[in-house]
Amino acid sequence: MTKIQVLGTGCAKCKKLADNAEQAARQAGIEYTLEKVTDITEIMKFGVAMTPALAIDGQVKVAGKVPDPAAIQALLK
Amino acid sequence: MAGCCEGNKTHSASGCCGAGGSRTVLIYACSGGANVGEVTDQAARELMYAGAGTMFCLAGLGGDIEGMLATARSADVNLVLDGCPLECAKKVFDRHGLPHQYLRVTDLGIAKTKGVRATPEQIKTVTDKACAMLQCKA
Repeated sequence: MTKIQVLGTGCAKCKKLADNAEQAARQAGIEYTLEKVTDITEIMKFGVAMTPALAIDGQVKVAGKVPDPAAIQALLK
Repeated sequence: MAGCCEGNKTHSASGCCGAGGSRTVLIYACSGGANVGEVTDQAARELMYAGAGTMFCLAGLGGDIEGMLATARSADVNLVLDGCPLECAKKVFDRHGLPHQYLRVTDLGIAKTKGVRATPEQIKTVTDKACAMLQCKA
């Protein structure tokens, strides 16, 4: 089970990243959970200084931008 | 600092809500103890306030903070300002294999001196050079 976390306080770009991540996971055909981490204290525990950010299995992969579904799919492999 | 939307309001860096728009420019200063370190620090802040990018925490990269490394990897441009030929900031980037543009203050004819404050002229010399590298309007 892959754990996908979208870190961001809820702006439009954060939602876009969550949509893209969900699309990527579905296309990859993997089992996954998607969590939106919106609490700023929790976000900072990841060491992220720019949101939105994407963490996969607890590791921050991208921060400060919204990768497209294809790019996220590559990160999921 | 993980301020959503802050970056795009006053800086050209993406921050939250700016992603996918203008390019993300992150600026790092060695901030060393000599005058040239102060020049890097002040120049980085001037560049940030002028909208050329966002000053970002070099110590975080040196401390292997995963989220900050991811931020640096995701940036369109990382501009590294070192004060002197010891290249401390550059070595942090090289250790992590992070792409970057590079500027060294002593290469601009500014001598490294302990116990002397950076001057506005020296800071302007560095911001002008950095702006030329970034093709910014600051």
